[in-house]
Amino acid sequence: MTQIWLGLFSGIAFGFVIQRIGATDAHRMARSHLMLDADIPRFMVLAVALSAVGLFGLQAVGVGRTLPLPTSIVATGLAAVIFGIGWGLTGYCPGTTWAAAGEGRMDAVFALLGRLAGTALFAQLHETLIPILYDPTNVGQVTLTNLLGNHAAAVAVLAVGFGLCAWGIGKLWGSGERVAAFEGEPDSEKSPGNAEKTAA
Amino acid sequence: MESNNRERIPYWHWIPAAFALAGIIVFIFATYGPPASSSGFVSALKGFFEWAAPEYAATKAHYKAIPGPGSWLFAFVLGMAIGGFIAGRTSKKIPVRDMPLWKKRFGDSRAKRYAATFFGGFLILFGSRLAGGCTLGLFISGSTQLAISGLYFGVVIFAVAMLTARLIFGKIAQEEDVQ
Repeated sequence: MTQIWLGLFSGIAFGFVIQRIGATDAHRMARSHLMLDADIPRFMVLAVALSAVGLFGLQAVGVGRTLPLPTSIVATGLAAVIFGIGWGLTGYCPGTTWAAAGEGRMDAVFALLGRLAGTALFAQLHETLIPILYDPTNVGQVTLTNLLGNHAAAVAVLAVGFGLCAWGIGKLWGSGERVAAFEGEPDSEKSPGNAEKTAA
Repeated sequence: MESNNRERIPYWHWIPAAFALAGIIVFIFATYGPPASSSGFVSALKGFFEWAAPEYAATKAHYKAIPGPGSWLFAFVLGMAIGGFIAGRTSKKIPVRDMPLWKKRFGDSRAKRYAATFFGGFLILFGSRLAGGCTLGLFISGSTQLAISGLYFGVVIFAVAMLTARLIFGKIAQEEDVQ
């Protein structure tokens, strides 16, 4: 029962933060993919860099549970391509769909239904597809620690690498001013949220 | 100009937001384990099949591997929906709207948009279940654990999503200068 309350609490906090950064807005996500808005991708990679350091701290004091997923060269890659097409088309990933549906976005509700259908089909085909696509090129639970030979060094490489990614995304993607311009567009004033704001 | 526009940006600044999210992720690792969200769909369906077709649920490997709705996984995704609801109710500034880029590209038809998000959602979860995770369960939580699977998955999903978005919306975004 404690686990359920912990899960619920963690989910509420997570959903709240991703709504506040704008990750539940498919338009903002599409602009991220079009390299017009840097905030969501650099927010994601910086969060990973910080989490990796935090997790390293947890492990140092012997708290927490980890379970790195194995890498299957064919299945993980193919799955990522299928996933990427869906993500680019809709602007919703699995986590943001739940929060966006809660926020009242109807297109996210349909994304949620599509997700249930995709899950049901994969679960049906699991026994057929996993031995064909996943198992032959499964190289196991490889981590950076295995490649570099030292845990602390691996965490440092990941954190610095992702930190640099966050900085690089800020350089390569459009800057914050263009987001500001979009928020002032007449088009966005028609939306319920902004109309109230303009009136106020 | 800069200070004037700052007030109009309804979103949190990305750096404090990343610290907040990382704090939540570390909390999850400490109290549960690696966070995941696409597994929540499996939990939901497992609950449904255990009620509607118990024998089916009991024989399929995919449902055997993931706990049902009375679990951390399902509570987490339910929490995400509640979190999104609370966040939406407490912010008047972040717009809930029909996607402007989509409307410029495909017109005002909601049915078209809903059909597309259904189809996209279908692809995303089919892919996620094949890889064993999604943006959160594989990329974020895998990379945090230094897993090569997470890094590999992350690079490919970003690259393909960026290419797909460019193919679908790239021309419109340039021509119309849709902000």
